[in-house]
Amino acid sequence: MEEKMNFILLVPILFPVIAGVFLVWKREFRKRRNLLWFVGTALLITGTFVAVNLMGGERRLTAFYLTKELPVFFKLDALGRLFALLVTLVWILAGFFSFEYMKKEKRETRYYGFYLITFGVLLGLDFSGNLITMYLFYEFMTLASLPLVLHSQTREALMAGLKYLFYSFCGAYLALFGIYFLIRMGNTIEFTPGGVFESGFLAEHETLFLVITMLLIFGFGVKAGMFPMHAWLTAAHPVAPGPASGVLSGIIVKGGVLALIRVLYYLIGPGFLSGTRVQKIWIILTLITIFMGSMLAFREPVLKKRLAYSTVSQVSYILFGLAVCERSAFEGALLHVVAHALIKVCLFLCAGAIIYRTGCKRVEELVGIGKKMPVTLWCYTIASLGLIGIPPTSGFVSKWYLGMGALDSEIPIFSWLGPMILIISALLTAGYLLPVTMKGFFPGEEFVCKREKEPYLMTAPLIILAALTLFIGIFPETVLTVIRTISGVCI
Amino acid sequence: MEFVLNFPCFSILLAMFAAIISSVLKGRGAKILNTFVVSLVGLMSLAVLIFTVRTGECYVYVMGHFPAPLGNELRFGALEAGMALFFAVIMLLSLNGGRRKIKLEIAENKEHLYYVMVNLLLSSLLALVYTNDLFTAYVFVEINTISACGLIMITEHGRCIEAAMRYMIMSLLGSGLFLIGICILYDLTGHLLMSYIHTSIEAIVEAGTYSVPLLVTIALIVVGLAIKSALFPFHAWLPDAYGYSTVSSAAMLSSLVSKGYIFLLIKLMYRVIGFPIFANSKVIDVLFVFGIAGMIMGSLSAIRENDIRRMISYSSVAQIGYIYMGFGLGTMAGMVASIFHILSHAATKSLLFVSAVGLTDVSGNHKDFEQLTGAAYRNKAAGVAFTVGALSMVGIPAFSGFVSKLLFAQAAMDQHEKMLPALIVLAVSSVLNVIYFMKTVIRIYTPVQTGYPSVRAKENKLFVVTLICFIVLNVLLGMCSQPITEWIVQGLNVFA
Amino acid sequence: MGNHVFANYGEVVAMLLFGIGFTNLLLQKNMIKKIIGLNIMDTAVYLFLAEKGYIEGHLAPIVVNGDLNPETYINPIPSGLVLTGIVVSVSVTALMLSLTIRLYRRYHTLDLDEITTRLKKEGR
Repeated sequence: MEEKMNFILLVPILFPVIAGVFLVWKREFRKRRNLLWFVGTALLITGTFVAVNLMGGERRLTAFYLTKELPVFFKLDALGRLFALLVTLVWILAGFFSFEYMKKEKRETRYYGFYLITFGVLLGLDFSGNLITMYLFYEFMTLASLPLVLHSQTREALMAGLKYLFYSFCGAYLALFGIYFLIRMGNTIEFTPGGVFESGFLAEHETLFLVITMLLIFGFGVKAGMFPMHAWLTAAHPVAPGPASGVLSGIIVKGGVLALIRVLYYLIGPGFLSGTRVQKIWIILTLITIFMGSMLAFREPVLKKRLAYSTVSQVSYILFGLAVCERSAFEGALLHVVAHALIKVCLFLCAGAIIYRTGCKRVEELVGIGKKMPVTLWCYTIASLGLIGIPPTSGFVSKWYLGMGALDSEIPIFSWLGPMILIISALLTAGYLLPVTMKGFFPGEEFVCKREKEPYLMTAPLIILAALTLFIGIFPETVLTVIRTISGVCI
Repeated sequence: MEFVLNFPCFSILLAMFAAIISSVLKGRGAKILNTFVVSLVGLMSLAVLIFTVRTGECYVYVMGHFPAPLGNELRFGALEAGMALFFAVIMLLSLNGGRRKIKLEIAENKEHLYYVMVNLLLSSLLALVYTNDLFTAYVFVEINTISACGLIMITEHGRCIEAAMRYMIMSLLGSGLFLIGICILYDLTGHLLMSYIHTSIEAIVEAGTYSVPLLVTIALIVVGLAIKSALFPFHAWLPDAYGYSTVSSAAMLSSLVSKGYIFLLIKLMYRVIGFPIFANSKVIDVLFVFGIAGMIMGSLSAIRENDIRRMISYSSVAQIGYIYMGFGLGTMAGMVASIFHILSHAATKSLLFVSAVGLTDVSGNHKDFEQLTGAAYRNKAAGVAFTVGALSMVGIPAFSGFVSKLLFAQAAMDQHEKMLPALIVLAVSSVLNVIYFMKTVIRIYTPVQTGYPSVRAKENKLFVVTLICFIVLNVLLGMCSQPITEWIVQGLNVFA
Repeated sequence: MGNHVFANYGEVVAMLLFGIGFTNLLLQKNMIKKIIGLNIMDTAVYLFLAEKGYIEGHLAPIVVNGDLNPETYINPIPSGLVLTGIVVSVSVTALMLSLTIRLYRRYHTLDLDEITTRLKKEGR
């Protein structure tokens, strides 16, 4: 029975893509309501398909062969499930948020079209069963999300889009360079937890594999905004419409993280990396990124840009966890993937809601915003606390695991330097996020204003995201059990 | 003997006679005849392809009454038949895509002459693909050059005539070298039929005599054909010829004419000289070096270019560099990759030329990027098609360009000395491709208020259908490359 | 080496001529001179072929008095090739000359580079 149902794996990938292409092709709906119904239904149906897939057992599907040895192959494993669930959740919430937000923007149909296409492509990325399929969807992800960046079509957006494209493609080609070698050296490119290479073989070709790993880390690291390839991120994310910059920053950046996990933990194997020079270089780079991202966010006056810099810093927390190659650090990294996705989307949506209602973009304009939009700012505050890592929020748990993992690992210097930088960066995070809350709720005595209306379509996703942040912080076991099954087979 | 085996000979003669008849027809009649002939040739090649793939053998077809060492022969297997089919398909699509421009740009009393040239081109291409005789190959190389020159100059635009002149001069230099090469080869071996030359060459190599003359001969022939197919340092004529001629001509020149010469070169490598002997000569390293130089220099020139047609032409220089790099690897895998790239590049480049013209049409016939801003909104089909072509050139998975890059990389992995330069240049040239193609794509999708009218798909059905066919062909090559590579390998095995 | 060259003086001359023709076609500025170069180059090849096909003391391969002994005649194939080659080169030369006439009528010069600069200046 399971064998026959394998094609279901393709449905959630194809359905949103087809729906999206239909929208892009149609261009115009007579009534805005019809468009919203269409998009809402498409999102929910896709969500149902994903749920059906997640509920079912292990599925494998070979779609077609690219060349003789390279099938396009889909597989549903624990890591893919985790990411797919996250993507679906965030995509539906941000989608409903867009219904209100996009009211004021032009060319709405096209936006939703590419929004849906990107959704399908991301699910394809999560379900990929081998290296070449993943690379395929990785490239598509860049292309499908490009129109979201370009949406406003101003000169600034255009330059940001070009920057995004060049960085992404250059990164992808670096990675492709490494992928060529991996295809050549390995007898399979199917993702297998713990790696496909035998340790003897790895030791024999150590230099070559170190170079490959380095290339892959740099290549996919571009997408994850790792120093020194982070410049595109802070240009591209803020120019997109609010919900789009949320998903770009919260989810698409994780595409690079997923690719790195797949390559390092499912093909090369984590054992190979630990103790090598490449690992040290990578850790140094992530630590620099963490610190630098926070510092840059600290002095950035525009809220959305500040959040983008914060993404640079926070995603490198995840990369740091991956680089340490230690079990609880890996678990922390995965947990931070979930936590950061929810939090960052929530923060960007808050920023979007504020821009939508008041038009304020700069931090100093946000004085008294808590009086005008209390629900939004409460959600913002909870999410900020999560990003800083204050209990009882999800960020605390993930950072705890990251720190413990780093301390447990026996890498000289970095086992204590890493956690220290994490803490310093957490302080900086508090420094750049909380002033908004403080000035927002306590504007001073002379401040008078009337309360803005906060539409349900905007507040509901915010409240759900903030609640999830708290929920994971209080009951981390719900997510950790899933993560433990992943880390159990990988390390 | 099966009746199907007559088809290659028929198709060459059919195209030749069609050319003769077209010269007395009116433009419209010539057009219909040409369409009919090209389709018929395609169908016949398809029949031959099916037959040869099924039997998996190579057939010799004797022309005239003289037996083997003296007479003239055709020889064909799966590879030749497939190539002929592909050429016919691309030719038909390129002509259909540029049909409106042909009407506009060519004087009415000259239109039939255009189809004379096209038919001649087809027959010479088929002859180059099928022939087993070196001197016949030379004659058809010249016919190919003359008809290609006619295709360039037919619009009578000053720039085109100048380009045609330059093209002729370079081509004649190339064919001069080729001719003297085959004369020396004839002198060395005493044969003109390829298979017999090969036997003699093997004997010569075994005996160890005449090693220098043989090397010189190989070098002369290869350089001659390299000049004709616009390998990097000999590409000066190319941007003008492709950039200013009518669009069908440009598409056919880039995807068929140069590929015909390259196919002849493959034939010489495999059938005349023998691949092991060729791979051991130093010539192959020279090809490799010029190939990778072309990949970089072509792309760099394309980046500097401000004219969309010339940009695509410079990109051709880079892509021909890829093909020669594949030859230069000197392995079977490299050869398969090169042949696949011939197909992939032909499909993509003609798509790009045709769609680029769709874009310039809605920009007041301006070809510079400034005027092209937002052209994709004015002609949507052309915009989508150009994007697909650009993505394929850049090497996005699911389009044909990615598969050929993958095959090149895999082939390079087998060659330890050349692995690193090949891979690095592949990566660098991909990045350069991204720079100029994506720049163009974003430019044509940037909305702007202009006075240029937009074109609806319904007004130009033929153009849109052609573009759809091109896109399907591209995706097909990208998604189902496996049967195609298998066919190439099968064809190469019986090729020599 | 020296005696080889001397024994095959016809081929040596052919190669020299080929070189002369090739350089002329490549480097001359004047289009007519280029075409002359082309013709020298082609003729050199025919000389080479004819020299290769000629056997000292044998007759032209035309049967006149019923003598079918192949020893009597020279190798006919190179002669056939020369004839084919001449046809090709004549047609190519004609095409080149017609192009030259076209360009001369329009730009009143035979210098290809000058035409190119003028075209670039026109900006078309």
